[in-house]
Amino acid sequence: MPPEFIQALQDMSLPTALRESALVFPIILSMHLMGMGLFGGMILMTDLRLLGIAMTKRPVSDVVNGLRPWKHLGLTLTATCGILLLWSKVALYYPNPFLRIKLALFGLIIIHAVVFRGVYRNVSELDRSPVIPGRAKLAAALSMVLWISVVTSGRWIGYWEPSKPETPTAQVN
Amino acid sequence: MALFLAYDVANNPLNTNEWAFPVCEVLHILGFAIAIGTITMVDLRLLGIGMKKQSAADLVNDTRAWTLGGLALVLISGPLIFSSDPNLYLHNVSFRFKITMLVLAIIYNYTIHRWVALKKSPGALSAITGAISLALWISVVFGGIFIAFV
Repeated sequence: MPPEFIQALQDMSLPTALRESALVFPIILSMHLMGMGLFGGMILMTDLRLLGIAMTKRPVSDVVNGLRPWKHLGLTLTATCGILLLWSKVALYYPNPFLRIKLALFGLIIIHAVVFRGVYRNVSELDRSPVIPGRAKLAAALSMVLWISVVTSGRWIGYWEPSKPETPTAQVN
Repeated sequence: MALFLAYDVANNPLNTNEWAFPVCEVLHILGFAIAIGTITMVDLRLLGIGMKKQSAADLVNDTRAWTLGGLALVLISGPLIFSSDPNLYLHNVSFRFKITMLVLAIIYNYTIHRWVALKKSPGALSAITGAISLALWISVVFGGIFIAFV
């Protein structure tokens, strides 16, 4: 995307107000992390149940369906705050390779959701099967790997600095 | 004591290795997602708004090991992060707030929260117990983030 467009996006009034407020920016960031606590916890327990590791005394459907609305609430909170944080400093973050990795991982997560839609939609079928099918376990394992990668790449965004003209190699601290 | 006096943060691997610090942060986030996520499951049940197919007591028993595992991860990665610059953290008002709330939240979780959740019929205490738990953990997260902003 042209840098002028990215800069114009950042210069809009909402992201500017967010960026310049000493209080609002860290509040949104805290809510981003709070959402992660909710979403991360719920998705991990969902996947661990599908893998047959956690909450094994309960039917799969009770765990997956019970956690689903809270998982969605957590994701909505995290995503909304994340978009606001990115928007407020988009010109700074745009060239960051870890942001691009994170966005690519979201692409993979959408593909995962489409490919394994059947697993999460028809969990009551899993209750009837004596062992959890390999496909459900694969979906859960991939989900955990993808989301942990999202957290990792997200954290690394803060440790990358654009290379300066006098120092051609990228500096990471 | 001599060891303590000889401690120089500049030699801490967290400050000399460019990967060590963010790895600790990622483990800290994973740990709190597991710990707070599983405690939240019990809270939502106590509030009567989620996980209604199980009793609060069942949820406490089902998630006990995961809550403890998550807390262990947080309580290992946290002190490591702290060791990178103890003076900075000790004098940081948000850090002091966070640690106070964390100690309260952990004590609360293993006392009142557990007693109420394991009761046969928690009754009127149930919702308020869940709400206090959520408030404590949310304040820990906010306190943690604000360390970098005060």
